[in-house]
Amino acid sequence: MKKIIALLLALVMVFALAACGEKPAENNAPAENNAPAEAPAEAPAEAPAEAPAENAVTVKAGFIFLHDENSTYDLNFINAAKEACEKLGVEYLLKTGIPEGQECYDAAAELVDEGCNFIFADSFGHEPFLIQAAKEFPEVQFCHATGTKAHTEGLANYHNGFASIYEGRFLGGVAAGLKLNQMIEDGTITADQAKVGYIGAFPYAEVKSGYTSFFLGVRYACPSATMEVTFTNSWYDPTLEKEGATKLINNGCVLISEHADSMGAPTECESNNIPFVFYNGSAADACPNTFIVASRIDWAPYMEFAMTCVANGEAIPADWTGTIATGSVKLTEINEQAAAPGTAEKLAEVQAALEAGTLKVFDTANFTVNGETLTEYLADVDDMGDFQPETNVISDGFFHESEFRSAPYFDIDIDGITNIDA
Amino acid sequence: MDNKTPAVTMRNITKRFDGKVVANDKVWLNIYRGEILALLGENGSGKTTLMNMLSGIYFPDEGEIAIDGKEVVIRSPKDAFALGIGMIHQHFKLVDVLTAAENIVLGLPGKLDLKAASEKIRAICSAYGFEVDPNQKIYNMSVSQKQTVEIVKVLYRGADILILDEPTAVLTPQETDKLFAVLRNMRNDGKAIVIITHKMHEVEALSDRVAVLRHGQFIGDMPTKTTNAQEMTNMMVGHPVVLNIDRPEPKNPKPRIEVKGLTVRDIEGTLKLDDVSFTANSGEILGVAGISGCGQKELLEAIAGLQPVEKGSICYIEDDGTREELIGKDPLSIQNMGVSLSFVPEDRLGMGLVGNMDLSDNMMLRSFRRGHSLFTDRKTPHQLAETVVRDLEVNTPGVSTPVRRLSGGNVQKVLVGREIASAPRVLLTAYAVRGLDINSSYTIYDLINRQKSEGVAVIYVGEDLDVLLELADRILVLCGGKVSGIVPGRGAKKRDVGLMMTKLGGGQTNE
Amino acid sequence: MNNKTREPLFHIAKRAALPWYRTWAIRGGALVLALIVCALITTLVTGENPLQVYVAIFKGSFGTSRKVWVLLQNVAMLLCVSLAVTPAFRMRCWNLGGEGQALIGGLAAAACMILLPGKLPNWAVIVCMTVSSILAGAVWAGIPALFKARWNTNETLFTLMMNYVATQLVAYYCVVWESPKGSGNIGIINPNTQIGWFPQIGSYKYLLNILIVAAVCVAMYIYLNFSKHGYEIAVVGESERTARYVGIKVDRVIIRTMLLSGAVCGLAGLLLVGSTNHTLTPTIVDGRGFTAVMVSWLAKFNPVWMILTSFLLVFLSRGAGEIATRFSLNQSFGDILTGVILFFIIGSEFFINYRIIFRRPAGKED
Repeated sequence: MKKIIALLLALVMVFALAACGEKPAENNAPAENNAPAEAPAEAPAEAPAEAPAENAVTVKAGFIFLHDENSTYDLNFINAAKEACEKLGVEYLLKTGIPEGQECYDAAAELVDEGCNFIFADSFGHEPFLIQAAKEFPEVQFCHATGTKAHTEGLANYHNGFASIYEGRFLGGVAAGLKLNQMIEDGTITADQAKVGYIGAFPYAEVKSGYTSFFLGVRYACPSATMEVTFTNSWYDPTLEKEGATKLINNGCVLISEHADSMGAPTECESNNIPFVFYNGSAADACPNTFIVASRIDWAPYMEFAMTCVANGEAIPADWTGTIATGSVKLTEINEQAAAPGTAEKLAEVQAALEAGTLKVFDTANFTVNGETLTEYLADVDDMGDFQPETNVISDGFFHESEFRSAPYFDIDIDGITNIDA
Repeated sequence: MDNKTPAVTMRNITKRFDGKVVANDKVWLNIYRGEILALLGENGSGKTTLMNMLSGIYFPDEGEIAIDGKEVVIRSPKDAFALGIGMIHQHFKLVDVLTAAENIVLGLPGKLDLKAASEKIRAICSAYGFEVDPNQKIYNMSVSQKQTVEIVKVLYRGADILILDEPTAVLTPQETDKLFAVLRNMRNDGKAIVIITHKMHEVEALSDRVAVLRHGQFIGDMPTKTTNAQEMTNMMVGHPVVLNIDRPEPKNPKPRIEVKGLTVRDIEGTLKLDDVSFTANSGEILGVAGISGCGQKELLEAIAGLQPVEKGSICYIEDDGTREELIGKDPLSIQNMGVSLSFVPEDRLGMGLVGNMDLSDNMMLRSFRRGHSLFTDRKTPHQLAETVVRDLEVNTPGVSTPVRRLSGGNVQKVLVGREIASAPRVLLTAYAVRGLDINSSYTIYDLINRQKSEGVAVIYVGEDLDVLLELADRILVLCGGKVSGIVPGRGAKKRDVGLMMTKLGGGQTNE
Repeated sequence: MNNKTREPLFHIAKRAALPWYRTWAIRGGALVLALIVCALITTLVTGENPLQVYVAIFKGSFGTSRKVWVLLQNVAMLLCVSLAVTPAFRMRCWNLGGEGQALIGGLAAAACMILLPGKLPNWAVIVCMTVSSILAGAVWAGIPALFKARWNTNETLFTLMMNYVATQLVAYYCVVWESPKGSGNIGIINPNTQIGWFPQIGSYKYLLNILIVAAVCVAMYIYLNFSKHGYEIAVVGESERTARYVGIKVDRVIIRTMLLSGAVCGLAGLLLVGSTNHTLTPTIVDGRGFTAVMVSWLAKFNPVWMILTSFLLVFLSRGAGEIATRFSLNQSFGDILTGVILFFIIGSEFFINYRIIFRRPAGKED
């Protein structure tokens, strides 16, 4: 027995020594992060051609995620971060599972300690803590997805980014509308029964903007359609999302879409054979018979853009909104098995119109509020916590979503959509 | 018999616990077929350990075991069964919701055929005179019936070497007689039977041969006929013991506790005490006799303020005649009234002491409230613990040993030591010597007598009628929660008291 | 003798109490074994060099002075909740509601921070926060205690349920006090006035928390081990019948102890909101109410050992985060390693209580 213990002790010593020997080498690494030696040889080769040689800064990126890759929301960001960094040849660190609290500040500060000069956080609630870090480390650029405060905070190194996902949802809506038309034609439902259901997370502008654009897309293809919305009050709750789907199906909805992060609703739709339009990623594998298409935000273009700015010593705008044109808004493959015939062609046509600007999602001609067409609308764009709308966002016959700041602010209840929780 | 091949030979068996406590030290033992062997020894002498090695629960550190002359290795109870060894433990291992037959066949290989099993069980029962209904559920059975099931279970599996660990501890005298008859039948059938016990009269009544262990060592064996209780006791204890209990005359007895019309129901609403009235005097031991569960526990707990009372009164009478009503008071308020009342409850580690606490913390149970400080005084209880250990010869590694590690007798000494340390005026004791070996029992009798001579009113609830008759000045007999009679201890007949226990007023009306 | 060879390979025997250095040697040995097993798993599953992984785990806690402060802060908060549940545990009253009690304390503190500025000066706001969060935690624990004492309800289930009520309440108030509107998020409270923010000692953001929890730890140790209340708790925990037998009012001790338990949880919530985060989210307690159960058990309900066990758990979880970052492994991998290490540490208790006796080689005397 004593021999075994001696052996184990010896092993521990070896471990400990090895650990000590390792440490200094690793500790030096962050300090040297600006030295050319750190820059991998492949970086210049893969770096975008427009990167000018002068003022070039080696970028080291740090990413802060609310959960890990098991959450579809975070997975989308994680994939984008890896893609963007690998494309630019940037060294990066990922911190997953960072709550929306002081831990976010700590994580950001630790990333700065590691030598990161570009930090990105993916969750709305991270914002105040990221701003706290941005104030403390002015030499580091901070980008925050979905946030609202960059344009009012006035920090040179703090920025918000988003994408016009409403365009993607609109396209998803068109695909859904085509499916409804098919169902009307083959007699499954009548035109009056063309009711779609939508499971939203919270009744916020981001979600409202999303389902309204989806609904406008549905109606673009199938004018007789109406919609019911229910909320789960959680971004991720498979059970509640499943129950929401059940509720909507029982209410007579013949097609479902959602804005929440779990597979709860899709699986419920598949088992009830109700076609649905998804968000964030494809569900074709799990739901081959009912999944039509999904829209998602691809964050890689924004991350690439921001990191290129850092590399070139250029300023990152306070707000940046990706579009279909920048590749920030994407659709997954259309599932031919569930989609109506001709969906791909129609979507291509609509997408081209959106990119060309000839088609506006929030065209005031296409929706009414209490039977009236809107000519102006004040939205709370500055988000000073006063909840006071101050900016008119309707002009030229459409609602200018994500233009005055990147995060959505469309929060109008339009006719044709019923909130069944209200 | 000695020329026969022993059914079991245990040679040079040594078993240590914790690496140092030697439970069995080079023990030699032969067990023969057609014989009942009484394995005798005080608590902690290693009887149960030795038999546990035979039944595969422990494995000996040294030594060999041979069955019918052939050396064997018993590494599990399964091995033991295969060799025909079956042990009936003090604590039964039966599934309550199953029937006797189901319990008996439980775990046996092969197809489940309850009908055939029931037949076989009936056959075993009629062969030896058991009374078991194979289809009766265990939870409907009395303790003695459960024990019978355990024995049948072992026989059903083909055991012909049976070990019974203190089988009579849970039985009434009548049930004991029945068990003994069955055991004799089995002996006559050629089975080898070992009973572990420390009750002398059982040894004399039942066994053919006696083997005595002391401190883990084998002291000797002899045919029962050639020995007697005194000799066996001396062998067990290791020195001559006087088997008489003192009973000094009460000095100046005065009423101390007066109970009138006491009626108590338990939580289920069952009547536990019904209109009980008596007086306990100072300087006197009032014995309480009765079949187990006929209200003794409730009586003591009612006096101690632990048992809600339906009606009646319990008065504490001081020397100057002042009376204090105790009903409706909890132990704390009784103490605060200045009534010095000590109580040695039946459940020593579950009520009287805290098993996981050490000796001095247990001493503190009675005294920790003293003083106005927020903090406890640890010095005084520590000193008390040392005094108790010294005066009562408590066998413990130290006062900071958890009491659960002590043997039963030492636990009881600690409890009694603490209870009499507060110089009580009333001492309530329940089954004060249960499970204690002879030496410890006599220490306790002695302590109780000393309290009596100091003028304490002692209420002594006992189960051993012989002891009650020798120790108590007066005996209160309870029967089904009622007072069956109060008889003077001196000159009372065991038979009369026994009758009063089973029948209200029994003795008097019959004679 | 051929029977020796047929002896079972090993059998198990109970040990007497071991001297402290042997128990710690066993625990240390378990830790070393755990590290070796973890190293094997790491190499086999990820192909990473286990030494580097261990270095990363170590650096996750001690890599920079900032990491050390974060580590100490996390240890302090976990220890605070663990200290809170311990008196109840000593009483064998399984308060699994630490999470909710801390959360409700945090809610009370946040309510004061949001509603009182303008009505009271800063110091008074802080006093109100302190009093109300401690009270709120105590009430949250007191409700199940009252039910247990009066109607003998099961405190484990009851306290567990109270967690959900607290979470939902906080979620509700997160919407009521949301900023910006529609975010469902309170954000940093009083970012400009810093009203209700606990003072910072020098430049050390977390020092105040650490000092407060250290003081609570010492006080709890003294309370449990040397006070009359502590003794009553121990007696009630060991045996309610014994407690009644010596005249301890069991109901009162249960309620009093649970109130204390909840009050210290409330304090933890106060520190989390007022001193660390300056915000309130339904996840602000971050499972500490449950981790605390493990901290307390591992330390056998001894407040001083709990410093060590809470350190161990925080150290492991920080290390898990670090290897997730450094090697692009999922955080779950770090949690697997944590699980292996805990398994060995908890398993080592078996070898402290029992020993395995191996078959002696023939011809050799022990």
